[in-house]
Amino acid sequence: MKNTRHLGVIFFPAYDWAISPTHPEREERLLYTQDQLREEGVFDLPNITEYKPEIATYADIERIHFCFPGPREVSTESHLVAAGGAIKAARLVMEKEVDRAFALVRPPGHHAMKVVHGNRGFCNINNEAVLIEFIREHYGNKRIAIVDTDCHHGDGTQDIYWHDPNILFISLHQDGRTLYPGTGFSEELGGPTARGRTINIPLPPNTSDEGFLYVIDNLVQPIIDDFKPDLIINSAGQDNHYSDPITNMNFSAQGYARLNEKLNPDIAVLEGGYSIQGALPYVNLGIVLAMAGLDYSQVREPDYNPESLRQSPQITEYIEKLCALTMKNYLKPPPLNVKPNQYDTRSKTVYYDTDGINDQQLEQIMVCTSCSGVRHLTSKTHRNSSCMGIEIPIDACQRCRDEGYRLLDEGRRSFKGTTIKFINRREQEYLTVNDFELTPMGRYYF
Amino acid sequence: MLLGIDVGGTHTDAVIIDREGVAATAKVKTDHNNLITSLDAVLEKILSSGPKRPISKINLSTTLTTNAIVEKELEEVGVLAVSGPGLAVNYFNRDLGEHFHLLEGSIDHRGNLRLALNDVAAREAVADCQHKQLKVFAVVSKFSPRNPEIEQTLAELVSAESDFTTIGHRISGRLNFPRRLATAYYNAAVWRRYNTFADAVSLSIKKYKINAPLNILKADGGTIDFKNSRKNPIQTILSGPAASVMGIIALSSITEDAIILDIGGTTTDIAIFANGAPLLEKEGVSFGDRATSVRAIGTHSIGIGGDSAITINPDGKITVGPQRMGSPMALSGPQPTLIDACNVKRLCNLGNIDKSFSGLKDLAEQNQLTTEKLAGEALDMALKTIQFEAIKLLDTINQRPVYTVEEVVHGEKISPQRLYVMGGPAAILAPLLGQTFDLATEIPDNYAVANAIGAALTRTTMEIELFADTGKKTMLIPNLDIERKINSSYSLNEAQNDGISEMVNYLKENNHPEIENGDVSVVEAESFNMVDDYSVGSKTIRVSCQIRPGLEKDYLEGVK
Repeated sequence: MKNTRHLGVIFFPAYDWAISPTHPEREERLLYTQDQLREEGVFDLPNITEYKPEIATYADIERIHFCFPGPREVSTESHLVAAGGAIKAARLVMEKEVDRAFALVRPPGHHAMKVVHGNRGFCNINNEAVLIEFIREHYGNKRIAIVDTDCHHGDGTQDIYWHDPNILFISLHQDGRTLYPGTGFSEELGGPTARGRTINIPLPPNTSDEGFLYVIDNLVQPIIDDFKPDLIINSAGQDNHYSDPITNMNFSAQGYARLNEKLNPDIAVLEGGYSIQGALPYVNLGIVLAMAGLDYSQVREPDYNPESLRQSPQITEYIEKLCALTMKNYLKPPPLNVKPNQYDTRSKTVYYDTDGINDQQLEQIMVCTSCSGVRHLTSKTHRNSSCMGIEIPIDACQRCRDEGYRLLDEGRRSFKGTTIKFINRREQEYLTVNDFELTPMGRYYF
Repeated sequence: MLLGIDVGGTHTDAVIIDREGVAATAKVKTDHNNLITSLDAVLEKILSSGPKRPISKINLSTTLTTNAIVEKELEEVGVLAVSGPGLAVNYFNRDLGEHFHLLEGSIDHRGNLRLALNDVAAREAVADCQHKQLKVFAVVSKFSPRNPEIEQTLAELVSAESDFTTIGHRISGRLNFPRRLATAYYNAAVWRRYNTFADAVSLSIKKYKINAPLNILKADGGTIDFKNSRKNPIQTILSGPAASVMGIIALSSITEDAIILDIGGTTTDIAIFANGAPLLEKEGVSFGDRATSVRAIGTHSIGIGGDSAITINPDGKITVGPQRMGSPMALSGPQPTLIDACNVKRLCNLGNIDKSFSGLKDLAEQNQLTTEKLAGEALDMALKTIQFEAIKLLDTINQRPVYTVEEVVHGEKISPQRLYVMGGPAAILAPLLGQTFDLATEIPDNYAVANAIGAALTRTTMEIELFADTGKKTMLIPNLDIERKINSSYSLNEAQNDGISEMVNYLKENNHPEIENGDVSVVEAESFNMVDDYSVGSKTIRVSCQIRPGLEKDYLEGVK
């Protein structure tokens, strides 16, 4: 046996939840994975223990998301259980009950952004972000690296941590020119206060084990070594698999296990992966064994043929160049044209594919020289006409803290929308302001 | 009249029960090296003293297979295993004897044959076993409950050499290859020894002119008929503790969530009841670090009993157990024990109390304590440890993973309402345990022969797993060896009905004419659509049925 570690697995397949009967995100997505893990007797191994998820509270969600009109309306019990599975993983690791934890839960979360109006990319609540804020709430402001190995760009997680210099977000995914959500390009490097803390590695279709592991060895690992995180979290999407029906990559179960062994994350959280029979049982088994430090050499898909999956020399060359460029971007990100201690504005349109919502957002960040900066945004959809979000970051300086309250006050007096969400991570105050006209005490109440 | 016999580690107990209650009891010392003489002796004793009406049923619990495994009295087994991709071999081939052969071949989770059995290698393995004159075999493939074909081929290959072959899917329809493998191995390894014993049991029963069906106790608190036990001897392991638990049910009226404590000399066994029924081990019982698929009542044993030694470690911490150095000092033992502490606290009056006092006084003085204080703290420590372990066990059970939103969010938790205490020191410790746990406490009468009463009254149990695939149009019940064609409209409802009726048919054909459909409960019933190319195609259906441990109702009133 190799260097074994105690692994906690929070297995939650949500057998009674689906987006719709034929949607890829449906009841039996993890059924065959469970069959495989059971038949292998994985949970009888002395260093692997199965745990039940907790149930996340609305407070856990409102710590990180601006949910409009509120968390109750944009989530279901299954989202609370999946996020609760991620929280359980965090608790197990932080309390040192286990060395590593894998939240093998659904529904997934990495497309859920800072603002949530509904479901996009099969996601409502960002499980990793709920997990990270749970850790920062209870165990201090840690430096955390998220490595997103889902085939789709982790645009939700990127959006949430775009301005946070203590969270390093690295996403490896199929090039956005060829796949949903169409973002995640090399030049997306984080906001003015967290420049270089968002790293995107858009890989060409048909990238195989060789390409993924090259990126890990030559780019991800050196960046992590430089960033020196307290914790590493893997957003463990499994749709880079060669058999996945909605993507075009050539990654294998062996590759996923190797990647996990190299990356050595403290916590992994399942994301996508829709080849539920041909890939997931083997990929999950491989990840579980690798995280536990056990021999995974015999884990392979019945139809695995490494020769037929080999990537072309052109792909190899492209990836080598991409890695060199990205490393340069990380070490010396091209500067933004911003003025210190003033607001920088970005506007964007967010489309909720599952729920058909179109969200027009205007976001302002204080380009603060002493903290991550107060964040102020407005969001407008046909559903929730106009909403506002204000966030005082966990590391806020006094000026940005006071500015957050000033914005809140101003919003209460003059905002023409329906709801204001206010997050003060520094002093842990969370407010919802709505129904401006209806209250007798003035124009608002809590 | 029912005859219940428990051939235990120390004593062999027998009871005869009629509709009025316990009609006769007998107890003899167990001859560890010759269990049949113990059986004969207890039969002789109870039949000569008891009423002369005919026996209608015999239930026998024996430690034979448990002893064989613990003492490694195992026949060499030819083990032929087919794992396919997955866990490396060194995680599942430990403790399976000297003749383990891993063969090439693979079946996937859907039950598709992905790689045919390597026929040449299989024949070579069989030839090697033949050369080593092996006569019993275990053949097990991964995912055999989904598709038994590789196991069937292997069973056929060894048939000419084999006196007895255990086939994996006949052991259990549940998925767990390493457990199935270990269980199949042990079943083959104890087969001959068990059958020699069974032959002797048959002769004994003939000798005493008993003409009644014979059943053998299992670890899950139920019975298996004698004929079937000859093919499934592994099912008879660890039936003693299960018989005791069933005895407690017979002697009390447990209807709620409860904690059962069986306090012996060296250990306290904890069992948890939910709604009056004992909880089973999640997957099966383990010996040491080897897990099996044998279903068993979950009991947790901790090293505190009446004879547990009281010690004080160098930094002044008082401990009770887990060592037992001998009897209490009140009974001329070498070291103060929990019972001596009870004597000092005037909770009981056992043996020579002065010796308890002087023993504890010596230990107390060496540690600058008063005798009273030491006795009090030792007792407190014992009670708190028992409580701590029971709560921990309960938490583990309440934290068992579940797989639907409904169960996570709205699932019920077990919250014990009552404490049942039995065993030698029960009367002394029960009131204190009641206070510690803050629960109403009960000591069942007659608990000294609870094991034999449990043995006499318990009924048969069984579990089956049904697996249907409407795409392949097949339905399987692995442990009954049923494999049938179904049509593509086969429903979850039909599957549940088939599960129940196949189980009842099987039991009726195997000496249990009394079993009716109503005795069977459906434990799990799930149907999943298998979507191919974004359209709903076929269904995978999984049904699990069982007959839960239960007691002969007609005789229960009398016993209580």
